[in-house]
Amino acid sequence: MAELSLRVNGTTHQVKTDPCRMLLSVLREDLGLTGAKEGCGQGDCGSCVVILNGRAVNSCLVYAGQADGAEIVTIEGLAEGEVLHPLQQSFIDRWAFQCGFCTPGMLMTAYGFLLETPHPEADEVRKAISGNLCRCTNYANIVAAVVAAATGGPQP
Amino acid sequence: MLASPTGYAAPTTLEDALDLLAADPDNTIIAGGTDLVPGVRAGRQTPGLLVDLRRLPLDHITAERNDVRLGARVTFTDVLESSVLAAEYPALVTAAADIGGPPIRNRATLGGNLVNASPAADGAPPLLVYDASVVLAGLSGRREVPLLGFFERPGHTVLQPGEILIEIRVPRPAGSTVSSFVKLGPRNAMAIAIVNAAIRVDLDHAGGVRQCRIALGAVAPTPIRALEAETLVVSQGLTPETIARAAAEAARATSPIDDLRATADYRRRMVEVLVQRLLTGSAAELKPGNGHG
Amino acid sequence: MTSVVGRPTARVGAVEIVTGRAQYTGDLTFPGMLWGALLYPVHSPARILRIDAAKARRISGVMAVLTHADVPGLNRFAYSYVEDQPVLVSEFVRYQGDALAAVAAVDEATAAAALATIEVDLELIEGVFDPVEAMQPGARRVWPDRNNVHEHLVIERGDIEAGFARAEVVVEGEYTTQLIEQAFLEPEGAVATLEADGTIVVYASCQSPHRDRRQIAVALGLAENQVRVMTPYVGGAFGGKDEVHVQIHAALLARATGRPVRLIRSREESIRTHVKRHPIRIRHKLGATRDGRITALQVEAIGDTGPYVNAGAEVMSVLAATASGPYRVPAARIDAFTVLTNNPICGAMRGFGIPQGTFAGERQMDKLSRELGIDPLEIRFRNGLETGTVLPTGAVVREGRPMKACLEKAAERSGWREREEIEREPAPHQRRGWGLAANIFTVGFGRSVPDSGGVNLEMTPDGAAILRTGAADMGQGAHTVLAQIAAEELGIGVEAVRVVKPDTDRTPDAGPASASRTTFVSGNATRRAAAAIRASLLEAASLSIGRPADELHLEGGYVHAAGEQVTTVAEAARVAKEANLPLHADGFYAMEYPEQLLDDAYPHAHQVFTFGTQVARVLVDTQTGRVTVEELTLVQDAGRVINPGGAIGQLEGGAAMGWGYALIEELKTTDGRTANNSLESYLIPTSVDLPPMNVGLVEIPEPLAPFGAKGIGEATLTPTAPAIANAVADAVGISLDDLPLTPERVLTALARSG
Repeated sequence: MAELSLRVNGTTHQVKTDPCRMLLSVLREDLGLTGAKEGCGQGDCGSCVVILNGRAVNSCLVYAGQADGAEIVTIEGLAEGEVLHPLQQSFIDRWAFQCGFCTPGMLMTAYGFLLETPHPEADEVRKAISGNLCRCTNYANIVAAVVAAATGGPQP
Repeated sequence: MLASPTGYAAPTTLEDALDLLAADPDNTIIAGGTDLVPGVRAGRQTPGLLVDLRRLPLDHITAERNDVRLGARVTFTDVLESSVLAAEYPALVTAAADIGGPPIRNRATLGGNLVNASPAADGAPPLLVYDASVVLAGLSGRREVPLLGFFERPGHTVLQPGEILIEIRVPRPAGSTVSSFVKLGPRNAMAIAIVNAAIRVDLDHAGGVRQCRIALGAVAPTPIRALEAETLVVSQGLTPETIARAAAEAARATSPIDDLRATADYRRRMVEVLVQRLLTGSAAELKPGNGHG
Repeated sequence: MTSVVGRPTARVGAVEIVTGRAQYTGDLTFPGMLWGALLYPVHSPARILRIDAAKARRISGVMAVLTHADVPGLNRFAYSYVEDQPVLVSEFVRYQGDALAAVAAVDEATAAAALATIEVDLELIEGVFDPVEAMQPGARRVWPDRNNVHEHLVIERGDIEAGFARAEVVVEGEYTTQLIEQAFLEPEGAVATLEADGTIVVYASCQSPHRDRRQIAVALGLAENQVRVMTPYVGGAFGGKDEVHVQIHAALLARATGRPVRLIRSREESIRTHVKRHPIRIRHKLGATRDGRITALQVEAIGDTGPYVNAGAEVMSVLAATASGPYRVPAARIDAFTVLTNNPICGAMRGFGIPQGTFAGERQMDKLSRELGIDPLEIRFRNGLETGTVLPTGAVVREGRPMKACLEKAAERSGWREREEIEREPAPHQRRGWGLAANIFTVGFGRSVPDSGGVNLEMTPDGAAILRTGAADMGQGAHTVLAQIAAEELGIGVEAVRVVKPDTDRTPDAGPASASRTTFVSGNATRRAAAAIRASLLEAASLSIGRPADELHLEGGYVHAAGEQVTTVAEAARVAKEANLPLHADGFYAMEYPEQLLDDAYPHAHQVFTFGTQVARVLVDTQTGRVTVEELTLVQDAGRVINPGGAIGQLEGGAAMGWGYALIEELKTTDGRTANNSLESYLIPTSVDLPPMNVGLVEIPEPLAPFGAKGIGEATLTPTAPAIANAVADAVGISLDDLPLTPERVLTALARSG
């Protein structure tokens, strides 16, 4: 057991837990943040992506102890209250999801990418989301949604 | 979910890390965790205490006079963002871009890629062609080992119990040189290589080939160099005929296996194709007037 | 004119999804909830000598360990008619996905520890792994008392001997397709609770909540009204959640412990257990005249369905019923065999037999085209079916125009007729090729199969609506489409319709969300429910403004008369309530089969079809064998598009799945056990793999369908693989008849052809 300090979506949580549990489990089970999903449990699908110290990571590959003291942003922290983040609105407007299971991870990967690359080309976006599997779409609408969100582009 | 590790520690000094590691043979170093976690989940690895390198100052990319030094916990994203590496080690940067996807590259480390000793490790062929060495630290001191002698067999290196790989040193290129990397995978991202290959060709002042390096992955129990092919290129130059012969020679240097991704036969044939393409590309790039050197 | 149908609309639930608030099954938590887990065999097939769970039961925190003896009702379930799959196996392990025991424990680690402690003695038995060998007389049997050939279906029409005798050219081929994993991103799961009155509530990621309810009740020995199934958000299914997976096990554990139980499969368990797309071997013989007109067709298809029938016979039936493709075939004989083996179970997956049949059929059309020197587009035009064409099943095509409209549109969009102007060898070792494939797809289950569905619709007195549907939305967009239909009919905005997800206590049975039937069946049911409420609204408006109801219509939240807004729908609803007019209604629709089936038609013949054409432009690397699809043109007959965003998303997503089917996907087995049980080894396309897609729609409304709209989500993946294979054949002049077209296969074929 360890007492971990996790700053999640701007709030610091002291979590008493086994540091060898996965960050994904702690977020979902202990903090009730079920937006991040487990699709594979081993970093193959990207459904569990969150931002850890400014970078998109698979939270199923991070031991809770490794996140001690870290700044974490999850899908629940993307909107400002009821005001959606431009990425979220753009995903809705462009039908960038069907079943929606990959969407939280996809959005967080895109969010992390835009932190580094605020004005991307479509091809850069395509590469940026290549670690996030989607089985419903062909990714085209996702790419378009990220580009549009970044440029504040026209409505579809 | 099988047995999870028995504990977690994030020491702040290398000495503490070495002490923790030495305390029990099951204790295991963790950095990015991108190989370790799936291994634990599948029951292939049963670590005791996890000794996390995250608080150690091992994330540097430092250009020295004779070499560039990379801390073991430099991630592949760091590799992609480094201007020093982009300028001098394009094969390594290309390989980094082919590893996993962005969330994996944000965690996966160069050191981890090497110590896991996967025959298919994409980081290995570029570092082999750049004549990299690795610095291993133990309680009794440090040693520097050429990467060529580092890998023993799948999952095994010369790293002794209690030792930690702390740094990778890559000699700086001199003169007219080109290098490149190519990966043939079953898909374009998030894939383990069917074959990967890197080459480096240095020219002498007269325009002849001074040095050649050809390294191959996923075609032998460890990443390998194709030494005879290299010799052929050095002695005979980059003519189309030599390139074809060297490519065939490189294929002969391999000892691939059949697995889910491809047969041994296909791998051997692809080595020939990839090496031929890489060498042909380097010959074109090295043509006088292409601004190299 | 419509104001909601056919207009861009956000997906129902979109805000919940993008904010992470959408709850999928695994996101649900209840006080005192336990973790469930299932024990799967390490060997298969095998005779079970002993299962001893005594030690596991003694572990602190283990609340229940169940084996076959703890199944109170019938320990066998079925997708349709053949109840042969045990909930928990007792005597024999017949495949790797049979569950031996179920445990519930206080946490995940304790549940895992319990599984590891259960002692199982298995005696390996010789298995049956090759369906063709399994069909031979004297072959080892999967079941001692059952023939390995579960069903041999014959569909025959016309005189094929005469047809082949008349043929001036005969093309024969043998094709194989591979075992495919749905790879929905959300692994299967269920959460079960036991209510105070003994009712079992099961939340499940599923496609068929009402069928699940029956199966759970039968296994637990309960009446169906003692089981309640709810479907939260579903993270993809593609047929793989059409059958129950862990619902019964979760229910058994909740009943045994009295506590809520969450049972979620790991990815590895998911791949090992649920039903897959059938690998099918198809022999195909096509006769034609020299001017390219088909005279006869003979097809033999052998489908490996695993040890339990599941949907195997239905899949093979749909393959057989569509084996003549979208063509006029005067004489045909189709033999389809559903064969039992000890391989993974196969059943429903998006396309349901048609992708396999289309691969063979469209490769054959290309071979015929090559043999005769007739352009692939032209030969399809010459043979393309028309309104009135009689299919081998005895179905008369009611609306055939979309077939050739799709061909033409795909040819135009892809530049098919100008393709020779484009460089065929753009670089050394690079060859370019073009391939075209057309298809026919079926809507609904086919005649003689129950095929109905209901909804309940309510308008609240403030003018908003609640739509209660038992149809699952697994991402295909069903709820959005149904909300649009309701909104259109009630004259309100789609945002004013709230959709209540499937809940067998509250929402009417809509049947499974499968067979491209939901838009059609539930859409028609929604129209009917809405019509009743609309009548109340119009009557109320008529009362309040004093104009006859038949001069009024509802649109955009207003009641209109003579082109003017005279009152609001909300006001009409309020008045209707005051006037004792009903504001809620059930809608029910059963698939109709008007006169267009011949008397001797195949009993499961379909009535409504969709058509499509795809064109692939590929580059083949002749040194590595790697195929790059440069562009995929997809044109689909939709009848009428209700939701453009959703429709195009379905078309593109289906073609993406088709791309994977064509080039990289294969679940590999050795002696019935799958080798690539992860998303690291079972590869699906990533964002940097898929080609640009050029999408076109053909909209010729289907009179029986709601607003003319037919299901399209499955049809779209069926022509992709043959289009790509035909393009590869065009590029390098070799015939590739086995899926997937891996680089190694392409290279081997190139080497063979010299």
